[in-house]
Amino acid sequence: MRYAVLVLVLCAAVVASVSLGDIAVPPMDVLQSLLFGGGEYDLVVRELRWPRTLLAAVGGAALAIGGALIQSVTRNPLASPDIIGITQGAGLAATIALTTGIVSVAPAATAGGLLAAAAVFAFGGAQTSRRFVLAGVAIAFALRAGIEIVLTSAETLDAQRAQIWLIGSLNGRGFEEAAPIGVVLALTMAPLAWAAWALRTTSLDDDVARGIGVRPVARRYGLAALGVVIAATATAQIGAVDFVALVAPQLAQRLSKRERPPIVASALIGATLVVFADLLGRRLLAPTQLPAGVLTAALGAPYLVYLLLKRRRA
Amino acid sequence: MKLTAAELKAGYEARTVLDGLSLEVPPGRLTVIVGPNACGKSTLLRTLARLLKPRGGAVLLDGQSIHELPPRQVAQRLGVLPQAPLVPEGLSVSDLVSRGRQPYQRWWQQWSKEDEAAVAEAMRDADVADLAERPVESLSGGQRQRVWIAMALAQQTEALLLDEPTTYLDLAHQVEVLGLMRRLQRGGRTVVAVLHDLNQAARYADHIVAMRDGSIAAEGAPPDVFTESLVREVFGLDCVIARCPVSGAPQVVPK
Repeated sequence: MRYAVLVLVLCAAVVASVSLGDIAVPPMDVLQSLLFGGGEYDLVVRELRWPRTLLAAVGGAALAIGGALIQSVTRNPLASPDIIGITQGAGLAATIALTTGIVSVAPAATAGGLLAAAAVFAFGGAQTSRRFVLAGVAIAFALRAGIEIVLTSAETLDAQRAQIWLIGSLNGRGFEEAAPIGVVLALTMAPLAWAAWALRTTSLDDDVARGIGVRPVARRYGLAALGVVIAATATAQIGAVDFVALVAPQLAQRLSKRERPPIVASALIGATLVVFADLLGRRLLAPTQLPAGVLTAALGAPYLVYLLLKRRRA
Repeated sequence: MKLTAAELKAGYEARTVLDGLSLEVPPGRLTVIVGPNACGKSTLLRTLARLLKPRGGAVLLDGQSIHELPPRQVAQRLGVLPQAPLVPEGLSVSDLVSRGRQPYQRWWQQWSKEDEAAVAEAMRDADVADLAERPVESLSGGQRQRVWIAMALAQQTEALLLDEPTTYLDLAHQVEVLGLMRRLQRGGRTVVAVLHDLNQAARYADHIVAMRDGSIAAEGAPPDVFTESLVREVFGLDCVIARCPVSGAPQVVPK
C-alpha cells in the first residue's frame, strides 16, 4: 500500500519533470509521447527531457540504496556516501580527470569513490560504527582539501568545468550517464535481494547476531561493499548530488516505521527527490539553471538540522 | 545432546582467562556457573556459546567442534542470551523474536508457516505473547529479558546458554526469569546459566559449576558444592550453610 503511494508520487514527479519547461507539454501528451511516440512533442519529450529525467530517477535511486546500506551497516544516519568520503573521492578523481584530460571522467570518478571507501574501511574497519564514521569524515576532509589544491592550480576554464561537476548537475546529461547506473543496478539485483534480507540482523548486537548463526563482521563488510559500489557508480555519473543518500533512507525508515531503512522505499524516495530537485533547479530561476545538487543540499541541510534537534530531545 | 569443553584455552588480547578447562554439561539439566568476579565464568559461557573463539582446545557438540561447524548449524542447536544486549530501536516484540528464525532461513526463501508457529510457540513459552506488538524499548527490564529468551527459543535449540540473565533486574523479575529457566529445563532442554546470587543458584540449579581463577574449583549438586569450607575457598567468605525454608536447598549466610 505504502509502496503504491511512493510509486505514484515518483510517476507524478517524472511526468511533471518532462511536462514543465520553456515549452509546456500537457501531461496527457507526455504519456502519449513516452508510451507510443509520434506526436508533435516527441523532440521535447523524448530527446530533451526524458533522458535527463530518467537519469535523475536512476541516479537518485542508486544514491539512496547506497545510503540505506551504509547507514544500516554503521547504524548511523549520518554515515552516507557524501559524509564519509566516497563522494569526495569521486570528486577528486573527476577534478583531476577534468583538469588534466589524461583519463575520462566517469571511470576515474568511480575508481576514486571506491578507493576512498577502501581507505575508510582500512582505517575505520567495520567493527564499530563510531570509528568507521570518524575515519570517513577525516578522509572526506582530506580529499576535499585535495580537490581545492587541484582546482587552484588548474586553468580557469578547466576549474570551472570541474566545479560544475562537483556540484552535481544533470544539465546536458542523459541516457549515456543513466546506462552505467542501470547496468550496475541490474547486476546487483540478486545481491540487493540478499541485502534486503541480511539487513534484518544489522541492528542487533554482534553477540546476539552470532547467537543466531550470523557472521556479523563479514555480513557488514558485504553489505557495505555493495552500498559503496552502487553509490560510487551513481556519483561518478551525476556528480555530487548531496544529501540524497542521507535523507532518502531516513524518510523511508520513518514512513515504514522500521528499525532500519528499507531498500526499495529508499530507492523510490531517492529517485523522487532528485527528479524533483532537478525540475526545481530548471524552473526556479529559469532561464538560469540551478544544478540539482544545489537544490538537494538546500532541502537536505534543514532536514539534517531537524534530525539532529530531534535526536537531542530523544 | 552432549555439550563438552575439552582442554579449553580462551582469553581477551594479552590476558589468558581459561587455561585448559574441561567440562561436561549434563544433558537435560539446569547447570549454573558461579564464581567471584573475573573468575572466567562469562568467558567460559561465551566460549561454549561460540561468541568467543578459543585459543586452544575445543567445545564439542556431540563430538564435533562447534567452532568448525557452520554457524547456522550451531545456531539450530545452541541458543544464546548474551549479557545485557542492546535493544534495537523501533523493533516490536514479535519482530525481534522472529529474528530467532535466522538459522533456518535463506535469503531466497519466504517466511514459512513453520517459522510463524515457532515464533508463536516461543512467545507463549516465554510468556510474552501479550506483548507481541509492543516496541521492545518500551518494556521493563524483566519483560525485555523474557523477549530475548523468546528469541533464543524461536531457534528451537536443544540447549540454551544464558550469561547473567538476572543481572540488572529487580528481585521479582529475577525470580520470574529463574522460573522460566526451570520450566524450559523441565520441557526437555539443557540450560546453562551464569548467575551471581549463590542462593538463587543453589535453589534453582541441578548442577553447580563453581569457578575460581579460570578453572573449576568444584562441581556437583548444590548440597555437595555449597559447603562452608568450599565457599571460603572459592569466594573468600566465612559463612554458615542454612536450609532454604521453601525448597530445602542450601543457603549461604555470611558470618
